[in-house]
Amino acid sequence: MSETPLLAITALTLRVAAVATLLLLPVAVLLGFALARRSFRGKALVQALVALPMVLPPVAVGLAILLAVSALDWPIAFTWWGAVAAAVAVCFPLLVRGCEQAFAEVDPRYEQVARSLGLGPARSFLRVSLPLARRGVLYGALLAFTRALGEFGATAIVAGIIPGRTETLALGIYSRVQLGDYRAALALCIASFALALVAMLAAEGWLRRGRA
Amino acid sequence: MSAGATRIRARLRRSGFTLDVDVGWSERVAVLFGPSGAGKTLFLETVLGLHRDAEAHVELAGELLEDPGRGVRVPVHERRLGWVPQESALFPHLRVEGNLRLGLARAGGDGAQLRRAVEVLELGGLLQRSVRELSGGERQRVALARALASDPRALLLDEPLASLDLPLRARVLPFLLRVRDELGLPMLVITHDPDEAIVLGEIAIVLDKGSVVATGAPREVLWSRAVLPLSEALGLENVIEARATAARDGGAEVETARGLRLVVRGSLAPGERVRLGVRAEDLLLAVGEPGRLSARNVLPARVARLETRGGDVLVHLDAGEALVARVTEGAARDLGLEAGAPVHVVVKAQAIRRLA
Repeated sequence: MSETPLLAITALTLRVAAVATLLLLPVAVLLGFALARRSFRGKALVQALVALPMVLPPVAVGLAILLAVSALDWPIAFTWWGAVAAAVAVCFPLLVRGCEQAFAEVDPRYEQVARSLGLGPARSFLRVSLPLARRGVLYGALLAFTRALGEFGATAIVAGIIPGRTETLALGIYSRVQLGDYRAALALCIASFALALVAMLAAEGWLRRGRA
Repeated sequence: MSAGATRIRARLRRSGFTLDVDVGWSERVAVLFGPSGAGKTLFLETVLGLHRDAEAHVELAGELLEDPGRGVRVPVHERRLGWVPQESALFPHLRVEGNLRLGLARAGGDGAQLRRAVEVLELGGLLQRSVRELSGGERQRVALARALASDPRALLLDEPLASLDLPLRARVLPFLLRVRDELGLPMLVITHDPDEAIVLGEIAIVLDKGSVVATGAPREVLWSRAVLPLSEALGLENVIEARATAARDGGAEVETARGLRLVVRGSLAPGERVRLGVRAEDLLLAVGEPGRLSARNVLPARVARLETRGGDVLVHLDAGEALVARVTEGAARDLGLEAGAPVHVVVKAQAIRRLA
């Protein structure tokens, strides 16, 4: 294996995906809840905008982030935070949609009963809506996390491919293929495959427990 | 306990349906009666404050909860109304105790309301159960206790017994009566069952197609002209309150306060109080002394008045207790039924249902 050991690349990949998912989660939960429960003017536009990063070429998303962070003078380009920013942008639609669906599956009756018992909107959300939606929310988070593990296009633009600093599994595979080092690329592929499999098994496990 | 006056005006449009009511009462326990689709649930939910688009004025038992004219709209969570929706809606992520405790923040620290609710509804043994393991009757009791534990100023019950089969209903109804009699809260109870309306309510408000068509004492209002088409469709009942006197022929004999004696099926301990229901069409009328009959109850009575309804005649009877029988017009003619005529009312023991 060339310069950066497999384990360090895997650890960075996991860290980027985990941080991105955790940063996204509160925002996605609140936005998903609002989309599932409220009707407001411009809701369709919000939904379209939320979905946008999912359908745009990831490279275009990456470029937009790069331009935005340099305009804002955020020193995160070409750091692992840049990779986090790319993952956040690309996974955002997935997690918001997941949360929206999770809350949509909660019968509003429960929230109405909670209100009748004297719980205000915040407490009703925390004690009733969120616990009832938790399996769907966690499933969405695991999907987003898995998607972040494999994020390539936007990450390559925002974070570059800097071994030891921003090189995640996907980026590492790409650079090794470029260098013709197929053995090393394959090793990273296998690591990717293992991570994704574990994450998806966990997600499916959650879902099954939810149905039981 | 006396309750303040209640006045509810509400107008609410839904696709193809308009609820438009203006009704007031001062009794503590009101039943909202009517066929399905009459708007009963919408009415109750408007009182609760769930429908922001309703034009509503809500004054419940002396407390003003909503009055657009005065800019008053108490939010749902501050109305202090103990609500039991039709499907009971127990929180599936909480055990029975968790369900009961959710409303405690409002009820205050010491949980006295919770203990009282657990005691009245006999839930002590169920507290650690998952709500998924509960039977239908237990679910209704837990939902009722949850509402009570939150220290409500009034109870709103949406068909509390409708999801239960008849034997279960008879087991849960006493709890409902206990809540009514021991806790002294104002209550608004939806039912489409005339027995329940008569047993539970001090006043009945009859709703049909989004409007109030009658209000008054349940026993009278459910037999009134405006309401009859509805209660007939729902199965008009005679409701009799009685006390068991003795076991008899594998059944029991009961006697009402006014001395009407009936033989019913099932075993009853002497002295036990029961509420019995008989459908109007299950009362047979005989002119003159009937011969030997298999029916266990042959009651001398006098016709109070007759009322024609479609092809049938409702015969209002005085048999010690007021009863209503339904016969065909032809039968009424052949028997020569008229006000004041002496008849015998024949009822099989099997036709008498025990309500509570």
